[in-house]
Amino acid sequence: MESFMGALGLYGLGTLALIWPKRLELAAHYVSMGLAVIASLMVLGLASQELLGLAGGGMLQFGRYSLVIDGWAAAFLVIIGLSGTAVSLYGMGYGRGYLGARIRQLTGLWNLFLGSMVLVVLAGDAFTFILAWEVMALVSFLLVNHESEKKQVVSAAYQYMVMTHLGTAAILMAFYLLGSGAESFAFADLAHSELPPVLKHIAFGCAFAGFALKSGLMPLHVWLPNAHPAAPSHVSALMSGVMLKVAVYGFGRFVFEFIGADVFAYGLIVMVVGLVSAFLGVLYASMEKDMKRILAYSSVENMGIIFAAFGCGMILVALDRPYLSVVAFTAVLVHSFAHSLMKCLLFMSAGAVMHATGTRNVELLGGLLKKMPWTAAFTLVGSMSLASLPFTGGLVGEWLTLQGMMTLAYESGTPELRLLVIFAFILLGLTGALALGCFVRLYGVTFLGRRRSNLVLKAHEMPFTMLAGMGLEALAILAMGIMPAPVVNLMRHVLVTSPLAIPAGDVIGLWWNGGQSESVFNPLLILLAALVLVALLLMTISSDKIIVHQDVTWNCGTEPTRRQQYTATGFSKPLRRAFDFILKPRRERVFLQRDHAYFGRKLHYNLLIPDQFTDRLYRPVEHIMVKLADTLRIVQQGSVRLYIGYTMIAMVIVLIWGGL
Amino acid sequence: MAFSFYHGAVQALCLLICAPLIAGIVNKTKAFLQKRQGASIFQEYFDLWKWWRKPVFVTKYTSWVFLAAPIVYLVTSIMAAMMLPGLLQGNIRFGDAFVFVYVLALGRFFMTLGSLDSATAFGGMGGSREIYISVLVEPAVMLAVLLNASRYGSTMLSQMVIDYNAFYFTVPAVLGSVAFFLVMLAENSRLPVDNPDTHLELTMIHECMTLEYSGRLLSYIHLGSMLKMLSFFVLFGALYLPLPLPMVVKVLMTALLVGLVEILNNKMRLFKVRVYLAAAVIMLAVAIIAQ
Repeated sequence: MESFMGALGLYGLGTLALIWPKRLELAAHYVSMGLAVIASLMVLGLASQELLGLAGGGMLQFGRYSLVIDGWAAAFLVIIGLSGTAVSLYGMGYGRGYLGARIRQLTGLWNLFLGSMVLVVLAGDAFTFILAWEVMALVSFLLVNHESEKKQVVSAAYQYMVMTHLGTAAILMAFYLLGSGAESFAFADLAHSELPPVLKHIAFGCAFAGFALKSGLMPLHVWLPNAHPAAPSHVSALMSGVMLKVAVYGFGRFVFEFIGADVFAYGLIVMVVGLVSAFLGVLYASMEKDMKRILAYSSVENMGIIFAAFGCGMILVALDRPYLSVVAFTAVLVHSFAHSLMKCLLFMSAGAVMHATGTRNVELLGGLLKKMPWTAAFTLVGSMSLASLPFTGGLVGEWLTLQGMMTLAYESGTPELRLLVIFAFILLGLTGALALGCFVRLYGVTFLGRRRSNLVLKAHEMPFTMLAGMGLEALAILAMGIMPAPVVNLMRHVLVTSPLAIPAGDVIGLWWNGGQSESVFNPLLILLAALVLVALLLMTISSDKIIVHQDVTWNCGTEPTRRQQYTATGFSKPLRRAFDFILKPRRERVFLQRDHAYFGRKLHYNLLIPDQFTDRLYRPVEHIMVKLADTLRIVQQGSVRLYIGYTMIAMVIVLIWGGL
Repeated sequence: MAFSFYHGAVQALCLLICAPLIAGIVNKTKAFLQKRQGASIFQEYFDLWKWWRKPVFVTKYTSWVFLAAPIVYLVTSIMAAMMLPGLLQGNIRFGDAFVFVYVLALGRFFMTLGSLDSATAFGGMGGSREIYISVLVEPAVMLAVLLNASRYGSTMLSQMVIDYNAFYFTVPAVLGSVAFFLVMLAENSRLPVDNPDTHLELTMIHECMTLEYSGRLLSYIHLGSMLKMLSFFVLFGALYLPLPLPMVVKVLMTALLVGLVEILNNKMRLFKVRVYLAAAVIMLAVAIIAQ
């Protein structure tokens, strides 16, 4: 436990980059990014020790503040450590692009951001938690706002700031309610908090709203697709890959220790919100053209899957079958881990593409595979993982989530629950297939085919540090996908041993066991057979006699133009039409020249797919708020006598009230 | 584990050899019902041999993904065939239903990437429609898995084999088998969702994706899709068809039935497929609740 102070100290040292002299800013960047790498590696090592049971927990007390580590925390520290290492390595190269553009602030705050996330997870009482949470929120706001010359960035950053503080307020409220029923605000005491049911429901509602907001569940997600793309790419990677998981950590702490999942409705709410977020998130992701917005919406989707699994586990606990909830809760941890790896990887490659071409719009890209082969290979691994295909980490979490739902259907055979599981399977099925389509589209349009604009011409492969960061994540994804047993067993161990103490028994034999038999998922075996076959088939097409290179694609005798290939917008057209009752796409036609009535007019088509939640939920609320504020103006006439009058009235009321 | 793996490999090899024959039988059935002579039931073998001998033309726009896609597609079909239950004695212990679905998805992922790599309008169109159909099929596939898994308590394909005695023409069994038949037609690009016979019309989906492939790589794609179709026939017979018949008879019956359905239906408009697959979803949902 004490060793974690070392890692935190290194992050602190890294933060000092803020005050290095300006002429040494490149040195400051390298030194403090190096410190971030070392500190993250330390966190990874120490947390893995804790998970393996070699360190044995511990607690540190500093007056009112305390730090505690247990299995649940250690699992999330592993996520922070691993992704922190990879992204910091990448940030070393990527951050150089900000030379002369406040690079010291970027790097210094980077360290503070990582440190605050470690601190949130280590917090042992409500004060430390809220303090670290708030530092994390503010520092991430500053990082989002880094390119503050751009108007879009500033508005995204302030939207993020407002939303995240609403979330903090909700969490504060939940802590306050829990604390009112406990002796102190230490987590150990909060666990024995005795609350009347109504207050308990309110506390749960507040906690769920707060953490759902931070993890971008619908309808509280509106800030996420704006804020994540606005930040510098390595910051986006950390925010999407790691910070969202910190919210899962906090929610788990509340559910397992403080509030409990014994009310059926809690699990139901969490599961339904998760499922809807998963489906709508990926639906919007398949419509976007901006690489980083696609990834941001896909984060909404994956957080949805994680919370759906969480809700499924909570329902099983509420139905008095806690030993069966292990599969679902393992899915939460495994999918959090896998999503952190793959989302960091893809945000890094989006950064690499931006670095190489200067654009994030996929409609201007294409054919990048030939220019940046390594980046393309790593991105392929990440895309496969986000489409949850075999041999990648993505499938492991998805598989466990589905098995968790299956447990719910099989073990509690009432028709109502079956209906819930049918609903879940329909939405998860749609989500899975849409995710595949979304990442085929992203990868195919960006890296394959021919270039769609001349921006691609200047593209080049990335420097070594950036490739190393991406390669590390890609390797981790493949390792996890091919041999999932170690990761899954570690994560299951967390649930059995930590304070959560879910009685696991032998429920998971090798993988999953319900009724009479277990179900086995052994990708290694399938992979070996597949690789042998692939090698054999590759040999059959390896000779020059078989592959004849041709100049251009046959196009009925004409030379095919680059604009004949499918665009990303065209690719998602059938889906847009199939789901138009949800998306409500709008098409705007703009006539640029009006000199001729019938011909020669220049037309511009704009396709708009507004986020329905912004239009239907936030706009009306905003409207009402402004209206209310307007009405309140009546009391503010600006005359001093009136204000003195108000004060007097207030005084009289207070005096009367005091006398009662 | 190793023993069941060996069984799986032998099974996949048998299915691989039989797959073109079954496709030939479907074609012959269609020809017979249309009062045509039709090609021999062995025609698919001759076609594969013809393509195998020819070189592959590759344009300069493509990358290694274009060459890898057909290979990955064929290999995933073989992997899926290895996981099927019930042909040979011996419990195939790595055949999980979700893995089966996602292994096939891996093949689809690469085929669609390959279609985008050729940088033509046809490829992109096929890929786009393939994704559209797969999105609509997926909920029905998931519910089909849920139907049998919630009945037998496992997602192992070998545990999900239908029990004739308990489900002999009961409501869930009949609804499940009809719905899976609809799903099977959509998954394998058959009429009324896709037309496997046309190569020039704008209506096609799967053939559109593979338009730029030639020679040996085309033979891999065709072999892969024929094997996938046979795998689905076997799955239909083993998991959903509530008749106590030997597997060979069931597969032949399914092939005849597919031929019959194909001549009785026209290709549906692309956006009508929604309704078609919603029917499958509703039938499966009723079956799951009714059991």
